[in-house]
Amino acid sequence: MIKIWFAGLMRERNGRLLGAAVGIAVTIAMLAALGAFLAQSNASMTQRAVAGVPVDWQVQLVPGTARGLVSDAIKKATAIATVQSVGYADVDGFEAHTGGTVQTTGKGKVVGFDATYLHDFPKQFRLLIGSMDGVLVAQQTAANLHVTVGDSVTILRPALPPVIVKVGGVIDLPNADSMFQAIGVPAGAAPQAPPDNVLLLPLSEWQSLFDPQAVVRPDSVRLQLHVGLIHTHLPHDPLAAFVAVHGAEKNLEIRIAGKGLVADNLAARLDAVRSDALYARVLFLFLGAPGALLAIFLTVAVVASGGTRRRRDQALLRIRGASRRQILQIAAVEAMFVGLSGAVGGLVLAEILSRTLLGVSVFAPAAFYSTIAAVSMGILLAQAAILVTAWRDAQQTTVAAARMTGRDKRYGLWLRTGLDFILIGLAAVIFWKTWSTGYQVVLAPEGTPASSVDYVAFLAPVLMWMGIGLLTTRLCLVGFQRGKRFLALGLQPIAGTLSGVVSAAISRQSNRMTQGIGLVALAFAFATSTAIFNTNYHAQTRVDAELTNGADVTVTGTALAPASAKLKELKALPGVLAAEPMQHRLAYVGTDLQDLYGIDAARVGEATRMSNAYFANGNAAKTLALLQQTPDGILISEETVNEFQLQPGDLINLRLQNSNDHQYYVVPFHFIGIVREFPTAPRDSFLVANARYIGQMTGTNASEIILLKTSAPPAQVANAARVIAETLPGAKVTDIGEAQRLIGSSLTAVDLDGLTRLELGLSILMVASATGLILALGLADRRRTFAILSALGAKPRQLGAFLWSEAALLFLVGSVIGILTGFLLAWMLVKLLTGAFDPPPDHLLVPWVYIGLLVMVALISVALAVMGSLRETRIPAVQRMREL
Amino acid sequence: MNKTLIHADAIGRSYAQGEAQVAAIVSATFLLKEQDRIAIIGRSGSGKSTLMHLMAGLDVPTSGTLMWPELGAPDTLLPEQIALVFQAPSLLEPLTVSENVALPLLLANFTGDIAAAVRAALATFHLQELAHKLPEELSGGQMQRVAMARAIVGNPRVILADEPTGQLDQPTGHALLDALLVHLAGTSTALVISTHDPLVAKRMNTIWQMDQGVLKTNVTSIEAV
Repeated sequence: MIKIWFAGLMRERNGRLLGAAVGIAVTIAMLAALGAFLAQSNASMTQRAVAGVPVDWQVQLVPGTARGLVSDAIKKATAIATVQSVGYADVDGFEAHTGGTVQTTGKGKVVGFDATYLHDFPKQFRLLIGSMDGVLVAQQTAANLHVTVGDSVTILRPALPPVIVKVGGVIDLPNADSMFQAIGVPAGAAPQAPPDNVLLLPLSEWQSLFDPQAVVRPDSVRLQLHVGLIHTHLPHDPLAAFVAVHGAEKNLEIRIAGKGLVADNLAARLDAVRSDALYARVLFLFLGAPGALLAIFLTVAVVASGGTRRRRDQALLRIRGASRRQILQIAAVEAMFVGLSGAVGGLVLAEILSRTLLGVSVFAPAAFYSTIAAVSMGILLAQAAILVTAWRDAQQTTVAAARMTGRDKRYGLWLRTGLDFILIGLAAVIFWKTWSTGYQVVLAPEGTPASSVDYVAFLAPVLMWMGIGLLTTRLCLVGFQRGKRFLALGLQPIAGTLSGVVSAAISRQSNRMTQGIGLVALAFAFATSTAIFNTNYHAQTRVDAELTNGADVTVTGTALAPASAKLKELKALPGVLAAEPMQHRLAYVGTDLQDLYGIDAARVGEATRMSNAYFANGNAAKTLALLQQTPDGILISEETVNEFQLQPGDLINLRLQNSNDHQYYVVPFHFIGIVREFPTAPRDSFLVANARYIGQMTGTNASEIILLKTSAPPAQVANAARVIAETLPGAKVTDIGEAQRLIGSSLTAVDLDGLTRLELGLSILMVASATGLILALGLADRRRTFAILSALGAKPRQLGAFLWSEAALLFLVGSVIGILTGFLLAWMLVKLLTGAFDPPPDHLLVPWVYIGLLVMVALISVALAVMGSLRETRIPAVQRMREL
Repeated sequence: MNKTLIHADAIGRSYAQGEAQVAAIVSATFLLKEQDRIAIIGRSGSGKSTLMHLMAGLDVPTSGTLMWPELGAPDTLLPEQIALVFQAPSLLEPLTVSENVALPLLLANFTGDIAAAVRAALATFHLQELAHKLPEELSGGQMQRVAMARAIVGNPRVILADEPTGQLDQPTGHALLDALLVHLAGTSTALVISTHDPLVAKRMNTIWQMDQGVLKTNVTSIEAV
């Protein structure tokens, strides 16, 4: 019997089987592609994190321990690429005689390293002037001592006579934090700020100077082994990679117990990234899960839309003696067929989507488990949608019951208990609590950055989504039951004299209509919220990169060769919309050396975006206008304001270097506002003032930086700018694209482009399905209604009134509720992620074109569904009457 | 003198089945006049329903001539001039009894008092108390009475009832017929009922017989058949 029935299904109900299989396929494709994307982004996060660590392990030897012993232990603990010896010596200070004055620093460190060190760990130093061979001075130390290449520096050794060395080069130490970390000290036990004064020597010279010091002051000299691990064997997942590296480090600790201490920079970095990865996973799931849920709902709706027929079929089977077991067997076969064909189709679709949009394969080893999970879920869904429905129907079906209208007899428990209001209330409370306390997703205090994910915060949009879904259901049910007259009035333009009957028919099928409207609303909400969020995310990634890079293209010169010397040429480059000079000097605030940026407050915004979030008062225009009106005004970073307890209007004296004699002189400023971030500025402490005033007080108007806003691709303009900047020694040209690629592991660095394309594409598909497919399937289920109406003399135009009325209601109510919900959810999500955006967006960006496209697609889909059904009305009435 | 409402001259209706032609009606010639009360009898599959569909203008004969001299063009017959009643339940499930009954008037853009017309039709079949019920709340007999009320609500010139009592027990079926005949008494409306029930057929003035697609209008009595 099952064989005959199945053959009949394939012959007579193939459209519905196909619809259900397509629903399953889309669900599987969505889940599998999402899983593959997650696996890929995790892998790239690991790769990026590993690549960003300058030295994987720093092993500090206990005085007296042989280097070879520890080196062997390291090789046994894990596979290593390289190991280098680095000497650290504490000194009482440095002294330099320049320009007839003597500069002396406080305590400092002298580092000794081998000539091959730079080859193995190239990210540790950046040469600013001179050569890497010989004695190197850190940039800030060189500024403190007023020395440059060729000058002499005296090293004041403790308990030993001073020695004089000649400076061969000035360098920047981009990883000073990890390079000078206190190894073996518990995290957070003591401040680990890197030293202000650093000198670097070739290892042999360092040994000759500090081996004697190790004898008299053994506590002041240490030897470290800097280790580079082989990264090719590391797992893709940050968590697994962390476990692997951390395990190897623990193994080494046991091997060298009492002989050395290990600083595991790689594990620390992976630890931070695994939190980011976890966070990204939550975010992606948050964005993707509603899509997958929607696909599931759609599949269930497709299956359910054939419910009337299925119930009638079942009732007839029962009458003819089929047992409940046989009916369920038939349903199981149908479900298995739908599930398996959906799985095959889903995998093909997922592979196409993943390869074209995400650049990954769902069959890749990393995506194995997620793909299996997606396929299993699809097959289970088919079973649940078909078999469970059949089982439920089999409990009570008679032919008469099969023809029930589905009219609501009583309200559900959730309606009576007001669950929708409770959920919305809870969402509002959680959202308010999270927002008002200034939740920051990524915590980046002094020292090692760390992430902290407050999962409770994500409950707010989830609960809001569910609450609005239920509220929509409540409003529809109540509206259909009590608002028949208004509905009839509203439908009059479409249904004419039949509007009363049409509205009555719709009202009495409130369950079906509400489900349809709910699905359309969910589809629109998903599409709108995803599009708005992705638009803002994308825009913020660019703003983040612009903040880091300064502008579309930034030309950075030096004090000796300022970029402003080439301003005219740069301005004249094709594709340059605006070129604005910006001074970058160093100023002493008390004893702190801070970055000072000199700008033309009226014009800086022409070349780079001046976000409101850059300023504590949240108003960029007002702050810059005030700076323009106050020639000696200065904007100070929050950290400095707090440290020095400054009040607006306070007079502060900074020390700036004069260009004529290179000496530092006191320059008075008036504190006028707090600046939180500024293009190219560091995150912690910096100052912004008027370039004209700085120029007057330092004897030079030269600007070290030129910010370029471009209309042509930034990389192209950057290439042209490089040609011009070639004549400026030490000048550097960077474009926003490079910055976007280089931003560390912050949230906005995760490339959502592929996911965005996938989600936006699927959203359109789902909106089209929710509107058109559901409508078409529902209408197909009412052929009997049309047969009766035809027999009563209804003309095609009158049959159309039923169709168009239902379609209009479904589309209008569903799309309006859906789009509004989408806006609300996107707004909540962006607000919740304010801490992750750097800087946070000033206002919500709305992709109107995409939303317009969605509405158009839905309209076309509705029109196609109705016109397809109208074609049915052209079938001779006598044929339709066979449905009776 | 009663006017001729439908005039059929040697009409036939055949359907293509593959390459072959299957004749549902081989030949039917008749006149249907005002106030006629006609029962069509015949075996299942003899062509009774097809003849009804042709008379209602829902189907087109493949041979012969069919005309509605007093009623108008075929596509304007339903619902004003001709009403159809079926054997199977034919009420729209989401509409109440009164809304179902009102449907032909709404479809015909009736400009009079629809509510009064519906009330009158329901009263004919003693259905007033069921006016606000849904079909799912009615018995089979009640549903068929509602279908009858829907047929008469627009005062059509012809009522074509295709085995209207076929799913009802005899007393219920006869009560339904009684109410219909009482309502039609004194009106010019013609009634054509196809039936397998000899007692129903006997209540009609004329009996036609369909036999293998051929209509015989000269049947003298049901006993003769």
